[in-house]
Amino acid sequence: MKTERLALLVLLALALATLGHPAGAADESIRIGVLTIRSGPASPIGDDILAGIETATKMQGKVLGRPIELIVEDSLFNPQNAVTKATKLVQQNRVAAVLGTSTIEALALLPVADRLAVPIITSNAGAAAITRQRCNTWVFRTNPDELMSVASLQQLIAQTPKLQKAKWFTLGHDYPWSRLVGGSVKAVKDIAYVGETFAPLDTTDWAPFIAQARTAGATAVIMPVTLGTPLLQFIQQAHEFGLTKEAVLVSPIGLPDWLVAKLGPTSTNVVSAGSWAAWRYEEQEPATREFNEAFYKQHGRVSGMQSLQSASAATLLYQAMTKAGSAEPAAVVRALETVDVKTPVGPLKFQPGGRQALSPLFLGPYEPLNPPRYGAQFAQRAEAFVASKSLTQSAKESGCNLK
Amino acid sequence: MDLNFLFISVLNGVVYGAFLLLTSLGLSLVFGLGRVVNFAHGALYALGGYALVEVMRRTGLGYWPALTAAPLVVFPVALAIERATIFPIRQRPDIYTLLVTFGVSFMVIGAIEQTWGTGTTLLTTPAPFTGTLDVLGNQYPRYRLFAAAVSLLVSAGVFALVQLTPVGLRIRAITDDAEMAEALGIDTKRLLTLVFGGAASLAAFAGALGAPIFAVHPDMGMSILLDSFLAVILGGLGNLPGSAIGAFVVALTKSIGGGYVADWSIAFLFVVVAVVLIVRPTGVFGRGRVA
Repeated sequence: MKTERLALLVLLALALATLGHPAGAADESIRIGVLTIRSGPASPIGDDILAGIETATKMQGKVLGRPIELIVEDSLFNPQNAVTKATKLVQQNRVAAVLGTSTIEALALLPVADRLAVPIITSNAGAAAITRQRCNTWVFRTNPDELMSVASLQQLIAQTPKLQKAKWFTLGHDYPWSRLVGGSVKAVKDIAYVGETFAPLDTTDWAPFIAQARTAGATAVIMPVTLGTPLLQFIQQAHEFGLTKEAVLVSPIGLPDWLVAKLGPTSTNVVSAGSWAAWRYEEQEPATREFNEAFYKQHGRVSGMQSLQSASAATLLYQAMTKAGSAEPAAVVRALETVDVKTPVGPLKFQPGGRQALSPLFLGPYEPLNPPRYGAQFAQRAEAFVASKSLTQSAKESGCNLK
Repeated sequence: MDLNFLFISVLNGVVYGAFLLLTSLGLSLVFGLGRVVNFAHGALYALGGYALVEVMRRTGLGYWPALTAAPLVVFPVALAIERATIFPIRQRPDIYTLLVTFGVSFMVIGAIEQTWGTGTTLLTTPAPFTGTLDVLGNQYPRYRLFAAAVSLLVSAGVFALVQLTPVGLRIRAITDDAEMAEALGIDTKRLLTLVFGGAASLAAFAGALGAPIFAVHPDMGMSILLDSFLAVILGGLGNLPGSAIGAFVVALTKSIGGGYVADWSIAFLFVVVAVVLIVRPTGVFGRGRVA
C-alpha cells in the first residue's frame, strides 16, 4: 500500500512538473538547423560557416531566456540531399530556422521554402536570383550577391589608376559567373580589354591558358576561378610562369583567408574586390573586432568571410527572435524584415521589401601584416564599399516581388 | 597564326604528355598483364603526393630524398591492396576487378582525408629548378622542363625493363597469352602482384614529381586518372607504345585545344576517343585487348 502511494506521489509530481514547464518554456532550447558542407573537398567552407555560427551563438548566450541548440546536418554540397536534410531538420528536429547554406543548397531550397515554412538565412550564396527574380518570403541572404560583387570590382578599377591603364584579360573557369565577371570588366569605360579564355572546370594544368594571357600582353588578369584548390593551383602556376611579374592578378570576390595563408607572399600579387576581407573591417568597426577576438579564442584562427557572414546571419536571426518575442517562424520573418543590428560585418538590415542584406564589400590589395593578427601574416587591405553603392536598385526593380 | 603561341602550346603539351606517360604506362601494364582496369590508379597517384609531404615533414629531409622515398612508401601499400582485393577475385570476370578497384579508390581517398584532412598543400619549387628559363624568347618554368625530362627518362626505363630483361619477357608473355605463359611455368599471380606494386609506384612517383606544380590534395588523382585512361584507350589497352603515343595525343589535344578553342577542347578530346572506340575498339595502334 505504501509503495502504491509513493508511486502515485511520484506520478503526481511528474505531472505537476510537466504542467509547470509547457512547450517553449524558459529551459527548453530553441533549435536552429545548420545545413552546410561537412564532408568532401568543399568542407573547409562548411567548417568556416559552422565555426561562425558557433561563435555568434556563444556570444549571444540565451534568446528569449532559452538556450540555443544547433543541429548540424551535412548537405554534401548536393541539392537533393540539401532538400532531404532541410526537411528532416524542420519536420523531425522541429528547428525554428535554417542557417549555413551556400549557393547550391539555397537554390535547392527555394522551391520547397514555402513547404518548410521556417526562415532560411543563407550567408554564402552568390547567385543573384535568390534574392532578386526568385526571391521567397522565407529565404534571406546576408552576403553580397554576385552583382553587388561585380559593382565593387568596377569601383576598384575606377578608383585605381594602375588598373585603369592596364591591359585586361579574363582567365576563368567556363561557367556563367566567369562570363558575367568578364563582361563587367569589359563594360568599364575607357579600359583596354585584350582578351579572355574560359578553362574547363576540371582544369589542373593552367599552362595553356596562362600562355594566352601572356600572348595577349595582359597586365591585369581578372581570375574568376572556383575558390579552393583550383584557385590555389592557378595562382601558384601563374607565379611559376612569371605571369605575376608582368601582370597584377585581380580576384573578383577575394581570397579566403586559409587560401591566403597557403599562398603566403605570393598573395601580395593579388588585388581584390569582394567581401573576403571583412575581418579587417575591425579597424573601423568595434563589433567586428569583438567577434574576431571571440572567434580566435574559440577556434584559434582568423575569422574568414564565411564565418563573419554566417555569424551575421545568426546574429540577425537571434535579434529578430528577440524583437518578435517569439521563435514562431512567421513572427521571426516579419521581425527580420525590419530588424537593424550591429553584426560582425557592421550594422546590417535587409533591403526594404526584399530579402538581401545591405552588406558592405571591401576593396584593396593583399599585404603583409606586421605584426601578424589572429595568426594571419597576409591579408587584404579593406576599404569599405557600402551597399548603397553596390545595390542601387530597389528590391522591386531588381525583380523581387514578394506576395 | 602566331607561331610563337603555337610553339608554346606544343611545348606545354609535350611537358604534360611526358608527365601523363608515367601514369598511363602503369595503367596499361596492369591491364595487359591481368586485365585489371585499375580505377584506384588515381588514388595511388594522390597517395604518392601525400607520401612525399609526410616524408618531408617527418624526417625534415628536403624534396629530393622525399621524391625518391614516396614510391617506395606506396609500393607495399599497393602490394597489400592487390593481395587483399584483386588477388582473390582474379578468376572472375573483368567487371569484378573494375568494381573492386573503383571501391578501393574511394577507400584510399577516404583514408587520405581521414589522415591528412581535405585541405590542399602547396609545395615550393625545389632548388635548383626555381624560376624560369628562356626558351626561344619565352619564359618557361625550369621545374616543368626538369619534371618532363625525368618523366621521359623513367618511362624509357620502364620500356627497357619490359623489352630487354627476363622479367619483361615474362610480362610480355603473359600479356600475349596468360594461359600459355602459366602453362610454361610463369607465376602469373605473383608477377601481377609485383607489377601492380610497380605501376602504383610509378603513379606515386608521378604524384610526388607533380606536387610542386599541381599541389597535393585528396582528389588530385581524378583528373590525371581520366586523362590516363583516355591515353590508354587511344593507344590500345595493354599496348605500351600505343599508350605512350596516346599520352602525347591527349596532352597535345588539351594543350593546343585549350590554347585555341578552350571551350571545345574537352569535347574535341572525347569525340576523338569516341570515334576511336567505334572504329578501332583495340585502339589506334591495335594489339591491345578488347575488354
